[in-house]
Amino acid sequence: MVTKTEETQLNRLENQVDNGGGGAWEYLCLVKKLKVRRPDKVLRHGLSILNDPKKRSALGPDGRLEGILLEAKGLWAEAEKAYSSLLEDNPLDPVLHKRRVAIAKAQGNFPTAIEWLNKFMADHDAWRELAEIYVSLQMYKQAAFCYEELILSQPTVPLYHLAYADVLYTLGGVENILLAKKYYASAIDLTGGKNTKALFGICLCSSAIAQLTKGRNKEDKESPELQSLAAAALEKDYKQRAPAKLLLLTSALKSLKTS
Amino acid sequence: MGELKYELSQNAYIKLVLHARKHKTAAVNGVLLGRVSPQNDAVVEIADSVPLFHSHLGLLPNLEISLIMIEEHYSAQGLGIVGYFHANERFDDLELDSIAKNIGNHICRYFPQCAVLLLDNKKLEALPKGKDRSPVMQLYIRDASKNWKLVGSDGGCQLLTKEPAANVVLMDYISSEKWQDVVDFDDHLDDISKDWLNPDLFK
Repeated sequence: MVTKTEETQLNRLENQVDNGGGGAWEYLCLVKKLKVRRPDKVLRHGLSILNDPKKRSALGPDGRLEGILLEAKGLWAEAEKAYSSLLEDNPLDPVLHKRRVAIAKAQGNFPTAIEWLNKFMADHDAWRELAEIYVSLQMYKQAAFCYEELILSQPTVPLYHLAYADVLYTLGGVENILLAKKYYASAIDLTGGKNTKALFGICLCSSAIAQLTKGRNKEDKESPELQSLAAAALEKDYKQRAPAKLLLLTSALKSLKTS
Repeated sequence: MGELKYELSQNAYIKLVLHARKHKTAAVNGVLLGRVSPQNDAVVEIADSVPLFHSHLGLLPNLEISLIMIEEHYSAQGLGIVGYFHANERFDDLELDSIAKNIGNHICRYFPQCAVLLLDNKKLEALPKGKDRSPVMQLYIRDASKNWKLVGSDGGCQLLTKEPAANVVLMDYISSEKWQDVVDFDDHLDDISKDWLNPDLFK
Protein backbone atom coordinates (compact mmCIF):
# COMPACT_ATOMS: atom_id res chain seq x y z
CA MET A 1 0.00 0.00 0.00
CA VAL A 2 1.27 3.44 -0.92
CA THR A 3 1.09 6.17 1.70
CA LYS A 4 0.07 9.72 0.91
CA THR A 5 3.60 11.04 1.36
CA GLU A 6 5.02 8.32 -0.83
CA GLU A 7 2.46 9.06 -3.48
CA THR A 8 3.29 12.75 -3.44
CA GLN A 9 6.97 11.95 -3.67
CA LEU A 10 6.31 9.60 -6.56
CA ASN A 11 4.28 12.15 -8.47
CA ARG A 12 6.88 14.81 -7.88
CA LEU A 13 9.68 12.64 -9.14
CA GLU A 14 7.59 11.49 -12.07
CA ASN A 15 7.00 15.08 -13.11
CA GLN A 16 10.65 15.91 -12.69
CA VAL A 17 11.86 13.00 -14.76
CA ASP A 18 9.23 13.42 -17.45
CA ASN A 19 10.33 16.96 -17.93
CA GLY A 20 13.98 16.10 -18.26
CA GLY A 21 14.89 17.20 -14.77
CA GLY A 22 16.91 14.10 -13.94
CA GLY A 23 16.37 11.83 -10.97
CA ALA A 24 15.41 8.87 -13.15
CA TRP A 25 17.27 6.43 -10.95
CA GLU A 26 15.56 7.61 -7.79
CA TYR A 27 12.21 7.43 -9.56
CA LEU A 28 12.79 3.86 -10.70
CA CYS A 29 13.92 2.78 -7.25
CA LEU A 30 10.81 4.28 -5.74
CA VAL A 31 8.55 2.60 -8.29
CA LYS A 32 10.20 -0.71 -7.51
CA LYS A 33 9.98 -0.18 -3.79
CA LEU A 34 6.32 0.79 -3.85
CA LYS A 35 5.49 -1.84 -6.48
CA VAL A 36 3.29 0.60 -8.38
CA ARG A 37 2.45 -0.03 -11.99
CA ARG A 38 3.99 2.49 -14.33
CA PRO A 39 5.17 0.22 -17.13
CA ASP A 40 5.62 2.82 -19.87
CA LYS A 41 7.48 5.35 -17.78
CA VAL A 42 9.64 2.69 -16.19
CA LEU A 43 10.53 1.36 -19.59
CA ARG A 44 11.30 4.77 -21.03
CA HIS A 45 13.37 6.06 -18.14
CA GLY A 46 14.98 2.73 -17.43
CA LEU A 47 16.15 2.42 -21.01
CA SER A 48 17.46 5.98 -20.98
CA ILE A 49 19.69 5.10 -18.05
CA LEU A 50 20.92 1.94 -19.71
CA ASN A 51 21.63 3.68 -22.95
CA ASP A 52 23.63 6.45 -21.32
CA PRO A 53 27.11 5.06 -20.67
CA LYS A 54 27.88 7.49 -17.87
CA LYS A 55 24.72 6.66 -16.00
CA ARG A 56 24.99 2.97 -16.75
CA SER A 57 28.36 2.49 -15.16
CA ALA A 58 27.02 4.14 -12.04
CA LEU A 59 24.38 1.38 -11.88
CA GLY A 60 26.70 -1.39 -10.91
CA PRO A 61 25.12 -4.79 -10.27
CA ASP A 62 21.68 -3.22 -9.90
CA GLY A 63 21.45 -2.98 -13.68
CA ARG A 64 20.06 -6.48 -13.57
CA LEU A 65 16.88 -5.21 -11.97
CA GLU A 66 16.00 -3.24 -15.06
CA GLY A 67 16.59 -6.29 -17.21
CA ILE A 68 14.32 -8.34 -15.00
CA LEU A 69 11.68 -5.62 -15.14
CA LEU A 70 11.75 -5.72 -18.92
CA GLU A 71 11.58 -9.50 -18.89
CA ALA A 72 8.56 -9.46 -16.63
CA LYS A 73 6.77 -7.29 -19.15
CA GLY A 74 7.58 -9.69 -21.96
CA LEU A 75 9.79 -7.08 -23.67
CA TRP A 76 12.25 -9.74 -24.72
CA ALA A 77 14.24 -7.79 -27.25
CA GLU A 78 14.82 -4.89 -24.89
CA ALA A 79 15.66 -7.16 -21.98
CA GLU A 80 18.12 -9.11 -24.10
CA LYS A 81 19.75 -5.87 -25.22
CA ALA A 82 20.02 -4.75 -21.61
CA TYR A 83 21.68 -7.98 -20.50
CA SER A 84 24.01 -8.13 -23.47
CA SER A 85 25.27 -4.64 -22.81
CA LEU A 86 25.70 -5.37 -19.10
CA LEU A 87 27.59 -8.51 -20.05
CA GLU A 88 30.09 -6.42 -21.97
CA ASP A 89 31.24 -4.97 -18.66
CA ASN A 90 30.72 -8.14 -16.65
CA PRO A 91 31.45 -11.03 -19.00
CA LEU A 92 31.68 -13.61 -16.24
CA ASP A 93 28.50 -12.82 -14.36
CA PRO A 94 26.54 -16.09 -14.26
CA VAL A 95 23.26 -14.42 -13.30
CA LEU A 96 23.31 -12.24 -16.40
CA HIS A 97 24.14 -15.25 -18.57
CA LYS A 98 21.30 -17.26 -17.06
CA ARG A 99 18.78 -14.47 -17.56
CA ARG A 100 19.78 -14.21 -21.21
CA VAL A 101 19.34 -17.95 -21.71
CA ALA A 102 15.98 -17.80 -19.93
CA ILE A 103 14.80 -15.16 -22.41
CA ALA A 104 15.78 -17.30 -25.37
CA LYS A 105 13.97 -20.28 -23.86
CA ALA A 106 10.86 -18.23 -23.17
CA GLN A 107 10.73 -17.26 -26.81
CA GLY A 108 11.17 -20.87 -27.87
CA ASN A 109 14.47 -19.89 -29.45
CA PHE A 110 16.42 -23.05 -28.66
CA PRO A 111 19.34 -22.58 -31.04
CA THR A 112 20.15 -19.22 -29.43
CA ALA A 113 19.65 -20.60 -25.94
CA ILE A 114 22.08 -23.39 -26.76
CA GLU A 115 24.58 -20.94 -28.23
CA TRP A 116 24.46 -18.71 -25.17
CA LEU A 117 24.65 -21.65 -22.78
CA ASN A 118 27.73 -22.89 -24.59
CA LYS A 119 29.34 -19.48 -24.13
CA PHE A 120 29.46 -19.72 -20.40
CA MET A 121 29.63 -23.38 -19.48
CA ALA A 122 30.98 -22.46 -16.11
CA ASP A 123 28.62 -24.16 -13.78
CA HIS A 124 26.48 -27.21 -13.30
CA ASP A 125 23.15 -25.46 -13.73
CA ALA A 126 24.25 -24.58 -17.24
CA TRP A 127 25.23 -28.13 -18.16
CA ARG A 128 21.98 -29.48 -16.72
CA GLU A 129 19.90 -26.90 -18.49
CA LEU A 130 21.69 -27.60 -21.74
CA ALA A 131 21.20 -31.35 -21.35
CA GLU A 132 17.48 -30.85 -20.79
CA ILE A 133 17.12 -28.67 -23.86
CA TYR A 134 18.96 -31.27 -25.95
CA VAL A 135 16.68 -34.04 -24.65
CA SER A 136 13.58 -32.02 -25.48
CA LEU A 137 14.93 -31.58 -29.00
CA GLN A 138 15.77 -35.31 -29.15
CA MET A 139 19.49 -34.52 -29.65
CA TYR A 140 20.57 -37.40 -27.43
CA LYS A 141 24.26 -37.54 -28.35
CA GLN A 142 24.68 -33.94 -27.30
CA ALA A 143 22.71 -34.53 -24.12
CA ALA A 144 24.98 -37.48 -23.33
CA PHE A 145 28.01 -35.24 -23.65
CA CYS A 146 26.55 -32.81 -21.10
CA TYR A 147 25.89 -35.57 -18.61
CA GLU A 148 29.42 -36.88 -19.12
CA GLU A 149 30.73 -33.45 -18.12
CA LEU A 150 28.46 -33.37 -15.09
CA ILE A 151 29.57 -36.82 -13.97
CA LEU A 152 33.22 -35.84 -14.41
CA SER A 153 32.85 -32.80 -12.20
CA GLN A 154 30.41 -34.30 -9.67
CA PRO A 155 30.88 -38.07 -9.77
CA THR A 156 28.89 -38.81 -6.64
CA VAL A 157 25.61 -37.27 -7.69
CA PRO A 158 23.34 -40.24 -8.56
CA LEU A 159 20.95 -38.05 -10.55
CA TYR A 160 23.55 -37.54 -13.29
CA HIS A 161 24.35 -41.25 -13.53
CA LEU A 162 20.66 -41.98 -13.84
CA ALA A 163 20.02 -39.34 -16.48
CA TYR A 164 23.08 -40.42 -18.44
CA ALA A 165 21.91 -44.04 -18.38
CA ASP A 166 18.43 -42.94 -19.55
CA VAL A 167 19.95 -41.06 -22.48
CA LEU A 168 22.21 -43.98 -23.43
CA TYR A 169 19.25 -46.38 -23.36
CA THR A 170 17.27 -44.00 -25.53
CA LEU A 171 20.14 -43.79 -28.03
CA GLY A 172 19.99 -47.56 -28.27
CA GLY A 173 22.36 -50.14 -29.68
CA VAL A 174 24.13 -52.86 -27.75
CA GLU A 175 27.16 -50.76 -26.76
CA ASN A 176 25.07 -47.93 -25.38
CA ILE A 177 22.71 -50.20 -23.51
CA LEU A 178 25.58 -52.15 -21.95
CA LEU A 179 27.02 -48.84 -20.79
CA ALA A 180 23.60 -47.68 -19.58
CA LYS A 181 23.38 -50.80 -17.45
CA LYS A 182 26.69 -49.89 -15.80
CA TYR A 183 25.44 -46.42 -14.97
CA TYR A 184 22.12 -47.68 -13.62
CA ALA A 185 24.24 -49.96 -11.44
CA SER A 186 26.36 -47.06 -10.18
CA ALA A 187 23.22 -45.04 -9.50
CA ILE A 188 21.93 -47.94 -7.41
CA ASP A 189 25.24 -48.01 -5.62
CA LEU A 190 25.15 -44.31 -4.86
CA THR A 191 21.59 -44.48 -3.57
CA GLY A 192 22.05 -47.58 -1.43
CA GLY A 193 19.82 -49.66 -3.69
CA LYS A 194 16.82 -47.42 -3.22
CA ASN A 195 16.33 -45.84 -6.61
CA THR A 196 13.25 -47.29 -8.35
CA LYS A 197 14.10 -45.81 -11.75
CA ALA A 198 17.60 -47.30 -11.68
CA LEU A 199 16.27 -50.72 -10.68
CA PHE A 200 13.79 -50.65 -13.55
CA GLY A 201 16.61 -49.45 -15.77
CA ILE A 202 18.61 -52.60 -15.07
CA CYS A 203 15.65 -54.80 -15.98
CA LEU A 204 14.99 -52.86 -19.18
CA CYS A 205 18.64 -53.04 -20.20
CA SER A 206 18.90 -56.76 -19.60
CA SER A 207 15.78 -57.33 -21.64
CA ALA A 208 16.95 -55.11 -24.49
CA ILE A 209 20.40 -56.70 -24.60
CA ALA A 210 18.88 -60.18 -24.68
CA GLN A 211 16.72 -59.12 -27.63
CA LEU A 212 19.53 -57.43 -29.51
CA THR A 213 22.00 -60.28 -29.06
CA LYS A 214 19.59 -63.09 -29.90
CA GLY A 215 21.36 -65.67 -31.98
CA ARG A 216 24.71 -63.99 -31.47
CA ASN A 217 27.65 -65.56 -29.73
CA LYS A 218 26.98 -66.16 -26.11
CA GLU A 219 30.49 -65.17 -25.03
CA ASP A 220 29.69 -61.66 -24.00
CA LYS A 221 26.40 -62.54 -22.43
CA GLU A 222 25.99 -60.65 -19.19
CA SER A 223 25.34 -62.56 -16.03
CA PRO A 224 21.65 -62.60 -15.19
CA GLU A 225 22.28 -62.02 -11.52
CA LEU A 226 22.07 -58.27 -11.70
CA GLN A 227 18.65 -58.40 -13.31
CA SER A 228 17.37 -60.93 -10.76
CA LEU A 229 18.69 -58.83 -7.91
CA ALA A 230 17.07 -55.70 -9.29
CA ALA A 231 13.77 -57.50 -9.85
CA ALA A 232 13.84 -58.91 -6.34
CA ALA A 233 14.58 -55.49 -4.86
CA LEU A 234 11.66 -53.97 -6.77
CA GLU A 235 9.29 -56.70 -5.67
CA LYS A 236 10.30 -56.29 -2.07
CA ASP A 237 9.76 -52.56 -2.20
CA TYR A 238 6.37 -52.79 -3.92
CA LYS A 239 5.24 -55.42 -1.45
CA GLN A 240 6.01 -53.02 1.34
CA ARG A 241 4.95 -49.66 -0.04
CA ALA A 242 2.62 -50.30 -2.98
CA PRO A 243 1.06 -53.73 -2.46
CA ALA A 244 -1.88 -52.90 -4.73
CA LYS A 245 0.53 -52.64 -7.63
CA LEU A 246 2.58 -55.74 -6.83
CA LEU A 247 0.77 -58.01 -9.30
CA LEU A 248 1.22 -55.48 -12.07
CA LEU A 249 4.89 -55.21 -11.28
CA THR A 250 5.43 -58.94 -11.26
CA SER A 251 3.77 -59.41 -14.59
CA ALA A 252 5.66 -56.43 -16.06
CA LEU A 253 8.98 -57.89 -14.89
CA LYS A 254 7.96 -61.25 -16.30
CA SER A 255 7.23 -59.77 -19.70
CA LEU A 256 10.64 -58.09 -19.62
CA LYS A 257 12.37 -61.36 -18.86
CA THR A 258 10.69 -63.34 -21.59
CA SER A 259 10.78 -60.67 -24.34
CA MET B 1 -9.37 -41.80 -42.23
CA GLY B 2 -13.14 -41.94 -41.93
CA GLU B 3 -15.33 -39.67 -39.91
CA LEU B 4 -14.42 -40.73 -36.41
CA LYS B 5 -15.87 -39.30 -33.26
CA TYR B 6 -13.66 -39.29 -30.18
CA GLU B 7 -15.72 -39.23 -27.01
CA LEU B 8 -13.66 -38.12 -24.05
CA SER B 9 -14.99 -39.02 -20.62
CA GLN B 10 -15.11 -36.19 -18.11
CA ASN B 11 -12.69 -37.80 -15.69
CA ALA B 12 -10.15 -38.61 -18.39
CA TYR B 13 -10.39 -35.04 -19.69
CA ILE B 14 -10.13 -33.27 -16.35
CA LYS B 15 -7.28 -35.44 -15.09
CA LEU B 16 -5.11 -34.45 -18.05
CA VAL B 17 -5.83 -30.74 -17.82
CA LEU B 18 -5.26 -30.71 -14.06
CA HIS B 19 -1.94 -32.49 -14.57
CA ALA B 20 -0.84 -29.83 -17.06
CA ARG B 21 -2.01 -27.14 -14.67
CA LYS B 22 0.01 -28.68 -11.83
CA HIS B 23 3.22 -28.44 -13.83
CA LYS B 24 2.55 -25.12 -15.51
CA THR B 25 6.13 -24.38 -16.49
CA ALA B 26 6.95 -27.80 -17.90
CA ALA B 27 5.89 -29.94 -20.81
CA VAL B 28 3.72 -32.85 -19.66
CA ASN B 29 2.19 -35.89 -21.30
CA GLY B 30 -0.26 -38.71 -20.69
CA VAL B 31 -1.97 -41.65 -22.35
CA LEU B 32 -5.61 -42.16 -23.25
CA LEU B 33 -7.30 -45.46 -22.47
CA GLY B 34 -10.39 -46.65 -24.25
CA ARG B 35 -11.86 -48.74 -27.04
CA VAL B 36 -13.85 -48.57 -30.22
CA SER B 37 -17.49 -48.34 -29.19
CA PRO B 38 -19.15 -51.75 -29.38
CA GLN B 39 -22.36 -50.08 -30.61
CA ASN B 40 -20.82 -47.90 -33.28
CA ASP B 41 -17.39 -48.43 -34.76
CA ALA B 42 -17.19 -44.80 -35.87
CA VAL B 43 -16.90 -43.80 -32.23
CA VAL B 44 -13.81 -44.17 -30.07
CA GLU B 45 -14.67 -44.05 -26.39
CA ILE B 46 -11.87 -42.60 -24.28
CA ALA B 47 -12.80 -43.91 -20.87
CA ASP B 48 -9.78 -42.94 -18.82
CA SER B 49 -6.34 -41.36 -18.91
CA VAL B 50 -3.08 -41.71 -17.05
CA PRO B 51 -0.82 -38.68 -16.60
CA LEU B 52 2.73 -39.76 -17.37
CA PHE B 53 5.64 -37.35 -16.99
CA HIS B 54 6.57 -33.76 -16.30
CA SER B 55 10.28 -34.00 -17.04
CA HIS B 56 12.54 -35.60 -19.66
CA LEU B 57 9.61 -36.53 -21.87
CA GLY B 58 12.02 -37.53 -24.59
CA LEU B 59 13.64 -40.40 -22.70
CA LEU B 60 12.58 -43.98 -23.31
CA PRO B 61 13.11 -46.07 -20.17
CA ASN B 62 10.40 -44.56 -17.98
CA LEU B 63 8.00 -44.43 -20.91
CA GLU B 64 8.49 -48.13 -21.63
CA ILE B 65 7.93 -49.18 -18.04
CA SER B 66 4.84 -47.02 -17.71
CA LEU B 67 3.27 -48.35 -20.91
CA ILE B 68 3.88 -51.97 -19.89
CA MET B 69 2.21 -51.48 -16.52
CA ILE B 70 -0.63 -49.33 -17.82
CA GLU B 71 -1.52 -51.72 -20.63
CA GLU B 72 -1.41 -54.64 -18.23
CA HIS B 73 -3.78 -52.93 -15.82
CA TYR B 74 -6.35 -51.71 -18.33
CA SER B 75 -6.48 -54.80 -20.53
CA ALA B 76 -8.23 -56.52 -17.64
CA GLN B 77 -11.03 -53.97 -18.16
CA GLY B 78 -11.14 -54.49 -21.88
CA LEU B 79 -9.46 -51.15 -22.54
CA GLY B 80 -6.30 -50.36 -24.46
CA ILE B 81 -4.15 -47.33 -25.21
CA VAL B 82 -6.03 -45.34 -27.82
CA GLY B 83 -4.23 -42.03 -27.77
CA TYR B 84 -1.72 -39.63 -26.33
CA PHE B 85 -1.95 -36.25 -24.64
CA HIS B 86 0.70 -33.55 -24.70
CA ALA B 87 0.99 -30.09 -23.22
CA ASN B 88 3.87 -27.89 -24.33
CA GLU B 89 6.14 -26.02 -21.95
CA ARG B 90 5.31 -22.58 -23.27
CA PHE B 91 1.88 -21.02 -22.98
CA ASP B 92 1.33 -20.06 -26.60
CA ASP B 93 3.13 -22.95 -28.26
CA LEU B 94 0.64 -24.91 -30.36
CA GLU B 95 3.11 -26.93 -32.33
CA LEU B 96 3.11 -30.70 -32.13
CA ASP B 97 6.73 -31.58 -31.42
CA SER B 98 8.66 -34.64 -32.56
CA ILE B 99 8.40 -36.39 -29.21
CA ALA B 100 4.60 -36.27 -29.39
CA LYS B 101 4.63 -37.47 -32.97
CA ASN B 102 6.97 -40.34 -32.18
CA ILE B 103 4.88 -41.56 -29.31
CA GLY B 104 1.76 -41.13 -31.43
CA ASN B 105 3.36 -43.21 -34.18
CA HIS B 106 4.24 -45.91 -31.70
CA ILE B 107 0.64 -46.10 -30.45
CA CYS B 108 -0.65 -46.20 -34.05
CA ARG B 109 1.09 -49.52 -34.52
CA TYR B 110 -1.33 -51.09 -32.07
CA PHE B 111 -4.31 -48.79 -32.55
CA PRO B 112 -4.41 -47.16 -35.98
CA GLN B 113 -7.12 -44.67 -35.02
CA CYS B 114 -4.81 -43.22 -32.36
CA ALA B 115 -5.70 -39.67 -31.34
CA VAL B 116 -3.10 -37.14 -30.26
CA LEU B 117 -4.45 -34.33 -28.10
CA LEU B 118 -2.59 -31.08 -27.55
CA LEU B 119 -3.54 -28.70 -24.75
CA ASP B 120 -4.71 -25.28 -25.93
CA ASN B 121 -3.76 -22.88 -23.13
CA LYS B 122 -5.47 -19.88 -24.64
CA LYS B 123 -8.74 -21.78 -24.85
CA LEU B 124 -8.31 -22.95 -21.27
CA GLU B 125 -7.69 -19.43 -20.11
CA ALA B 126 -10.80 -18.17 -21.92
CA LEU B 127 -13.08 -20.74 -20.31
CA PRO B 128 -14.34 -18.66 -17.37
CA LYS B 129 -15.30 -15.86 -19.74
CA GLY B 130 -17.41 -17.86 -22.14
CA LYS B 131 -19.70 -20.83 -22.28
CA ASP B 132 -17.53 -23.01 -24.47
CA ARG B 133 -18.40 -26.66 -24.07
CA SER B 134 -15.76 -28.05 -26.38
CA PRO B 135 -12.60 -29.55 -24.89
CA VAL B 136 -9.65 -27.19 -24.48
CA MET B 137 -7.51 -29.44 -26.66
CA GLN B 138 -6.60 -29.77 -30.28
CA LEU B 139 -7.13 -33.12 -31.96
CA TYR B 140 -4.51 -34.56 -34.31
CA ILE B 141 -5.04 -37.60 -36.50
CA ARG B 142 -2.57 -39.37 -38.76
CA ASP B 143 -3.47 -39.14 -42.45
CA ALA B 144 -2.86 -41.67 -45.20
CA SER B 145 0.73 -40.47 -45.71
CA LYS B 146 1.38 -40.92 -41.98
CA ASN B 147 1.53 -37.20 -41.24
CA TRP B 148 -0.10 -35.80 -38.13
CA LYS B 149 -2.81 -33.37 -39.15
CA LEU B 150 -4.77 -30.97 -37.00
CA VAL B 151 -8.48 -31.68 -37.20
CA GLY B 152 -10.40 -28.49 -37.84
CA SER B 153 -14.06 -27.85 -37.26
CA ASP B 154 -14.67 -28.60 -40.92
CA GLY B 155 -12.92 -31.96 -40.72
CA GLY B 156 -14.69 -35.27 -40.53
CA CYS B 157 -13.28 -36.23 -37.14
CA GLN B 158 -14.52 -34.75 -33.94
CA LEU B 159 -13.46 -34.49 -30.34
CA LEU B 160 -16.04 -33.94 -27.65
CA THR B 161 -16.55 -34.64 -24.00
CA LYS B 162 -19.08 -37.30 -23.14
CA GLU B 163 -20.59 -35.10 -20.44
CA PRO B 164 -21.58 -31.67 -21.79
CA ALA B 165 -20.86 -29.84 -18.53
CA ALA B 166 -17.28 -31.11 -18.29
CA ASN B 167 -15.80 -27.61 -18.60
CA VAL B 168 -17.90 -26.34 -15.72
CA VAL B 169 -16.62 -29.11 -13.50
CA LEU B 170 -13.08 -28.48 -14.75
CA MET B 171 -13.22 -24.81 -13.82
CA ASP B 172 -14.52 -25.74 -10.41
CA TYR B 173 -11.61 -28.07 -9.79
CA ILE B 174 -9.11 -25.52 -11.03
CA SER B 175 -10.38 -22.84 -8.70
CA SER B 176 -10.27 -25.24 -5.76
CA GLU B 177 -6.69 -26.10 -6.81
CA LYS B 178 -7.53 -29.78 -7.17
CA TRP B 179 -4.53 -30.11 -9.47
CA GLN B 180 -2.30 -30.43 -6.44
CA ASP B 181 -3.62 -33.94 -5.87
CA VAL B 182 -2.83 -35.31 -9.32
CA VAL B 183 -0.23 -38.08 -9.30
CA ASP B 184 1.65 -38.95 -12.49
CA PHE B 185 4.02 -41.77 -13.35
CA ASP B 186 7.04 -39.57 -12.59
CA ASP B 187 5.69 -39.08 -9.05
CA HIS B 188 5.13 -42.83 -8.72
CA LEU B 189 8.68 -43.64 -9.79
CA ASP B 190 10.00 -41.16 -7.24
CA ASP B 191 7.78 -42.61 -4.52
CA ILE B 192 6.01 -45.85 -5.36
CA SER B 193 3.43 -45.34 -2.63
CA LYS B 194 1.90 -42.66 -4.90
CA ASP B 195 -0.76 -44.18 -7.14
CA TRP B 196 -0.79 -43.18 -10.82
CA LEU B 197 -4.34 -44.44 -11.07
CA ASN B 198 -5.46 -41.46 -8.95
CA PRO B 199 -8.32 -43.50 -7.46
CA ASP B 200 -9.44 -40.84 -5.01
CA LEU B 201 -9.03 -37.78 -7.19
CA PHE B 202 -12.69 -37.28 -8.00
CA LYS B 203 -14.19 -38.58 -4.80
